[in-house]
Order: sequence, then structure tokens, then C-alpha cells
Amino acid sequence: MASSISETNFEESKRIKRRKTGDELRDPDTIDHTRWRSESEQRIYSTKLVEAIRQVRRNSSPENKVSSGRDIRDAADGVLAVAAKGRTRWSRAILASRLRLRLAHNNMKHKKARVAKVTGSIRSKMPEKKRSIPALQRKAKVLSRLVPGCRKVSFPNLLEETTDYISALEMQVRAMAALTELLTGSPVDRLTSTSDS
Amino acid sequence: MNRALPEMLHCLSGPGNGTDITVLERQRTRVKWQHQEQQNYFGVFLEPSQAGQVGNFQDLVGDGRCGSVLRHVVTHSVKPDPGLENGWPELGRYELPDLGFGSAVLMNGSAAGFEMNSTITRTSSCPHTEAQVAPEAKGKVSEPAEKMSSTVGRESYKKRKADKVQNTKVVAEDDAKDKRSKVCAEEGESKITTEQTRTKNTTTHPNNRETSADTSRENSKASEVQKPDYIHVRARRGQATDSHSLAERVRREKISERMKYLQDLVPGCNKVTGKAGMLDEIINYVQSLQRQVEFLSMKLATVNPRLDFNIEDLFAKEIFPACSANFPTIGSSSEMTNPAYLQINPAQQMVACCGLEMGVNTPDLMALRRTISAPVSLPETYFDASCFTQLQPPSTWDADLQNLFNLDSNQGRSISFPSQPFTGSIEASNLKMET
Repeated sequence: MASSISETNFEESKRIKRRKTGDELRDPDTIDHTRWRSESEQRIYSTKLVEAIRQVRRNSSPENKVSSGRDIRDAADGVLAVAAKGRTRWSRAILASRLRLRLAHNNMKHKKARVAKVTGSIRSKMPEKKRSIPALQRKAKVLSRLVPGCRKVSFPNLLEETTDYISALEMQVRAMAALTELLTGSPVDRLTSTSDS
Repeated sequence: MNRALPEMLHCLSGPGNGTDITVLERQRTRVKWQHQEQQNYFGVFLEPSQAGQVGNFQDLVGDGRCGSVLRHVVTHSVKPDPGLENGWPELGRYELPDLGFGSAVLMNGSAAGFEMNSTITRTSSCPHTEAQVAPEAKGKVSEPAEKMSSTVGRESYKKRKADKVQNTKVVAEDDAKDKRSKVCAEEGESKITTEQTRTKNTTTHPNNRETSADTSRENSKASEVQKPDYIHVRARRGQATDSHSLAERVRREKISERMKYLQDLVPGCNKVTGKAGMLDEIINYVQSLQRQVEFLSMKLATVNPRLDFNIEDLFAKEIFPACSANFPTIGSSSEMTNPAYLQINPAQQMVACCGLEMGVNTPDLMALRRTISAPVSLPETYFDASCFTQLQPPSTWDADLQNLFNLDSNQGRSISFPSQPFTGSIEASNLKMET
């Protein structure tokens, strides 16, 4: 019996390790939900965000005087992706795209690297044929375009990624709003989510 | 018996292809061992409830074609047939009608796990004398079953070979109806043969298993697609049992589960029902969140000049445990609460703690903050992103703030703030300010 028990432990440990690496079918978001809601996570994010913004400031000040909102937003997204600890697809996609951008930027020494992103989206809109794609699939496509890095993801996984992404975005909004209020001293009027876009 | 079990495990782990299989084997052997001991009880158990169970199975099967085979199988109450099924032997036996007849294709589920557990409980609950064995087996079996289903589900996307699984998978994937009857017959035959072999000798299990596996492999001559990973699903009562519908059902359940999570997350999703409407809501919400992020980042970009010299001080003070420690400073520095909040130490402290609490996002302190800032910053528009406008009405702020704090000190506890509702925490902090 002892051998079987040891076998059990060994097999279980192997399985557990594999479970951690093979992340496709996770347990449904029990951890993810609370992860982005915790205050410690928000605090961590806020500090990292500040550091990132400072860095953006420092990097952009020699080139142009004011860092655009887009830079800040990219920095914020990058920090969010880092905070996600790479467990989710969208976070990995954000980090990968930033890396690619940085590499391209370093190589080409100009900002043409961003074009790659744009052309991707343009290319997808080019075929304007009106196909009778079922509405659900159309919406799933739209959603997959919204969540970074989830274009070719199956529908249930897409939903899971969306869940995590929404929680992370909410935390990001909270942290950035707090930071903004801190800096400007005025309560930020948060846009409430309404049905009309 | 006790000796046989580890032997069986060793033998099984040989041909086994990995953790899954060995767990399956383990599970199998355990339950099978239990079965051996309960053989008699099984017969007893099965007889009275046979009708119910067989009826159940017939429902599951969906047609009475192989009903006779089923009954035959059930009445024999024979040992599990590991060669045939993919590793839940006892269950496999009851499940085989589904599997063999192409019903339970192996797809994932938590549903599968639960179904598995229910069947396990059914099987293990029967012998009353083996009370200690039953829960133990049940516990052990149910755990591995769940883990199994989940891991197998997880690995369904990975390419892992599963010897014993392939048979039933192969069998199950046959959705051609003409093959179904053949398979049915084959399964029945192989089952019966293995039953007989099982009843013969109990000690040479590994051999039996292997032989039966061979025979079953020979018998089921379906396509040799060695699709590796299976998720085990059990058809529920009254539901269609062909492989496609089972797969569909599992997929649908997955999707609906995830949609439920999203529904909780996205506000306003409760009113809309149906996937399309909910997807619309979700898309809108994600878009609005992204827009908020952009808006805030723009704001931060304009505010930014302050960041450099302020942040260090501000966030160095984030270690403050409670805001109450900072509030006394507010009274003293009321004259210094300038719009450049951030440049003056006491003000910094206040803002720091407010900001800290902001980060913490407690509603009380937000209200508090608003009470402090609202009378101070009368038109909100002044504070829109540009830092310079904050310098505009310093005098009014000071006056207001001083009024506030004078009120505090003079009147004692009853304080009426002009704008914001009074929360308990504000009172508490005011009390602290007084002292």
C-alpha cells in the first residue's frame, strides 16, 4: 500500500505541475475574480504605474515636451499586463506587443513600428462583403478584437479572458482615477457604463 | 487482496502511459477490488434496483437496441472491463452502454466529474458492510475522478497517448449509425467474454486485463484515430446520448458558465438575457472601460509636471496605517491648504492619506475627501485637468476650510457640512480633529 500511496503523491505532483503549465482550461475564474478586486493588488498597481509614468516622462522629455495620453495609456496597460503575472492571454499579448514595438523602435529608430498594429486592424475591415455571419459570431469577433491577443481564441476561452480583462480594466480605472484625483485634487467623474455606446 | 492491489498497480503502471492512466488504473483497481469483495452484494444490490438502473441505462442509451445486452451485463455483476473502457471500470461498466453505443464521447466536464461521482456513489454505497471501504473508495475515487476529468480536460488540447482510452474513444467517435449496432454487439460480446474471464480467476488480473484489452482492441475495429485526450462526460437522464450532442452539451455548459461569471461582472447584464444581448453589453462595457482608461491617461498626461517632485513624498507616506493619524495636521495647516496640495507637507500628508484611502477606495473616505474638497472647490470645472486653475480661489478655500475646522472646534460634535452627506467616519475623523 505504501508504494501505491507514494505513487499517488508522485502522480499528483506531476499532474499539478502540468496543470500549472497547461493553462488553457483553468478552473473557472474563482481566483481571477478576487484577484483584481483586492486592495493590495490595486496598491501594487498604483505604485508600479507611477513608476512607469515617471519613466515615460523621463523618456519622452528629451524628444517632445508633453507625453501624449497614448503613451501614458500604453504604460498603464503595460503595467497592468505585468501585474497580471502572465497568467492570462491578453496580458501576455500586451507584453509581447510592447516588446515587439520596443525592438522595432530600436531597430528602425522611428515610430513606424506602430503601423503594424494599425494595418492589422485595417486589413480586417477591408473585405466588406456582407456575409450572413450569425450575429453571435459577429459579436464574438468584435469582442475578440477588443481584448488584446484574443483573436483566434475559442469562444469559451474568449469569455474567460474577457472576464479577467474586465476585472483588470476595472482595477486599472480605479487606480488611475485615484491617482488622477490625487494629483489634480478633484474628484474624477467616472463614466458609468451605459447601454448606449 | 491487499497484496494483490499493489501488484496490480505495478503491473498497470507498466503499460500505462502516464499519470492519467495510472490514476485511472489505480482507481480502477481500487474500485474493482472493492467489487471483488462485494460481488455478492452487487448481485443483491443489482437485482432489486436492476429495473430502475437498467431503465436508467436504457434511457441513457436512448433506444432499447442493446437493452438485452445491458441487462445481461448488469445481471452478471461482473468485474469491470478495463480493456474496453477508458478507465472508469465500474462506472465504465454502467457507462459503457453510453460509451459503447457511441454516446459518451469524452469531453470535458465538471459535469463529467460530478456524474462520475454520482455513479461512484451508486456503486459504492451498495454494500452496507463495506461501509468503511465505500467512503474511502468513494473519496479516493471521486477525487481522482474529478482531478481526472479536469486534468484530462486540461490535457485534451495536448497530445497525449492513451492506450486504453483509444478503444472507447474510437468506438465512441463512430457516429455512423450503421456502425453503432455493430459496435453495440461488439461491446456486448467483448463484455461478456471479459465477464467470463473475470469470473474465472481473480488473482491474474493483469493478465486478464491485458487479454481483454487485446480482445477488445481486436473487436472494435473502428477507425484507428488515436485521438489522445478525452474528457469524460456522462449523459444525464432523458438526454440524447450520441457523441455529438454530448459534446455540444458540454461545450454549451462551459460557455454558459463563463457567461454567468461575466453577467456578475458586467453591470446591467442581468436585464438582458440570451447570449447575443449579453455579448452586446459586455462589448459596450469593455469599450467604456477602455475609454475611461484613455480619458484618465490623458488627464494624467496633462497633470504630469507635478508627478516628479510629488510622487516620492506622496507614496513614501503610503505606509500610514490609518488616516486618523494625519487628520490632526489638517486643522493646523488649514491656512496652507493650497491647491498645490502636493507641495506642502501637511497638505501633502492630508492628500497622501486621502489619496491612500482613495487607492484603498473606501467610500467613507471618498465622502470625507469630497466634503473637504467640495466646499473648497466650488465649481468642478475649475479642476479639470489643468493644474493652474487650481490656484484660482485660494482665499475661498482657506476661508471655507477654516470655517469647517472652526465649526469643528467650536461646536463640538454636531457639525453640518454644506454639501455632502454626513457619514459616520467623517464624524469620527472630526472628533479626532478636535482633540
